Amino acid sequence: MKLLPRNIPLALALIAALGLAALWVLSMPRPLTAADIPQHAGDAANGERLYHAAGCFSCHQPSPDLKDMDASLPAGGAPLVTPIGTLYPLNLTPDAETGIGTWSDLDFVNAVQRGISPEGEHLIPALPYTSYAHMKPEDVLDIRAYLATLPPVTSPEREAEITALPLIRRGVGLWKWVGLDTTPWKPDPKQSENWNRGSYLVNGPGHCQECHTPRNAFMALNSSKAFEGGPHPEGKGRVPSLRGLIERGRYTDAADLASALQNGEAMGYDKLASGGMGQVQRNISMLPEADVQAIADYIASLK
Amino acid sequence: MVSKTVLGLFTAGVIALCCTSAAMADAKASIEARQACMKANGGMIKVMVPIIKGQKPYDKAAIDASIANAQKACGGWADWWGADTKPGGAVKTEAKAEIWSDAAGFEAAGKAYVTAEAAVQASTDEASFKAAFPALGKACQGCHEKFRQAD
Repeated sequence: MKLLPRNIPLALALIAALGLAALWVLSMPRPLTAADIPQHAGDAANGERLYHAAGCFSCHQPSPDLKDMDASLPAGGAPLVTPIGTLYPLNLTPDAETGIGTWSDLDFVNAVQRGISPEGEHLIPALPYTSYAHMKPEDVLDIRAYLATLPPVTSPEREAEITALPLIRRGVGLWKWVGLDTTPWKPDPKQSENWNRGSYLVNGPGHCQECHTPRNAFMALNSSKAFEGGPHPEGKGRVPSLRGLIERGRYTDAADLASALQNGEAMGYDKLASGGMGQVQRNISMLPEADVQAIADYIASLK
Repeated sequence: MVSKTVLGLFTAGVIALCCTSAAMADAKASIEARQACMKANGGMIKVMVPIIKGQKPYDKAAIDASIANAQKACGGWADWWGADTKPGGAVKTEAKAEIWSDAAGFEAAGKAYVTAEAAVQASTDEASFKAAFPALGKACQGCHEKFRQAD
């Protein structure tokens, strides 16, 4: 009995150390390995389509400081203001020094589908790898092939302005246990091919749920309330529900919704420009008509 | 002396109260006027888009009336953007803070709209109307993208 008072602090210290070690292990990045990704010759034409469907440019816009360059290139560096701090998304052009020119295919897939940088750090989930994780890896490699065809731009990487960033990154590692679902997207055999194409584009590359589905207490998507809308992730205003858009009279039918996605507010479809949707709509308008219609058919089916 | 101080405080209080509520009423009136203007603009677009899409025949009289209605509703535009009408105030607004932080950008967006609207107003037949309309639609879209809050 005399030993007990002396051993309690020791036991507590041991438990704390074990706890920290467990957190350390649990928060470690778990990248894919070369064996996990398919052997696939990249198709740049399909990649260009997926690049627009995934909305890459919206965040990876060139910094306003970059002059004498084609402003449509995803040279990165434009500030992305989030509630946790300002991020400067990466240069996606194949520049060897400042872009992704020297990345391997595996590096690219790990960043896009697992949120892990080539240096093995967790990426802040402002990059919606939580949705991209559901994509076909072949499509991700096609995006990579398309990006490789772009002219390289020198646009140096800039560290995110986030307090205690290394600790936050480890926190992201823990969060991934609840927030990152890596289940590949699967077609619903009961639905049409067109509906399934829409489902894939919306839930994979399109990452619509990242804003249109509310989050739970762990900041993970609340799948029981999928597409019901919620607070705007940038902190101001609300994101509308995508359920019952036809029934509620927002659009007359799926063809009208497709026209809205194609044309946006330029054709009088109200509320398609604000809250970031303007950029989304512009990306969607770059897709082939059949893809826009597939997205509309799928969204219109959400009751 | 005491009564004088009390009276002074009371007067100050009354003035503060009256002027705050007057300012609030002004803010409310400004925001409501903005909303009525936007509603009239929306009404104008609803007349034009079906013609552009070919769902309705070209109707110059209806187009002109919709523009006149919008211009009437938006006449006081320049006076509706007081600092007390910023978002987060007593009266709910979809205006974004960028209207005030990027005043030059907001002014340019407004000018683009006025120019495009004038071009549509000056169109004389179906072909010239259809040629002029896209710039007007883009002006709505461009301004809302930068300066309008999501719900």
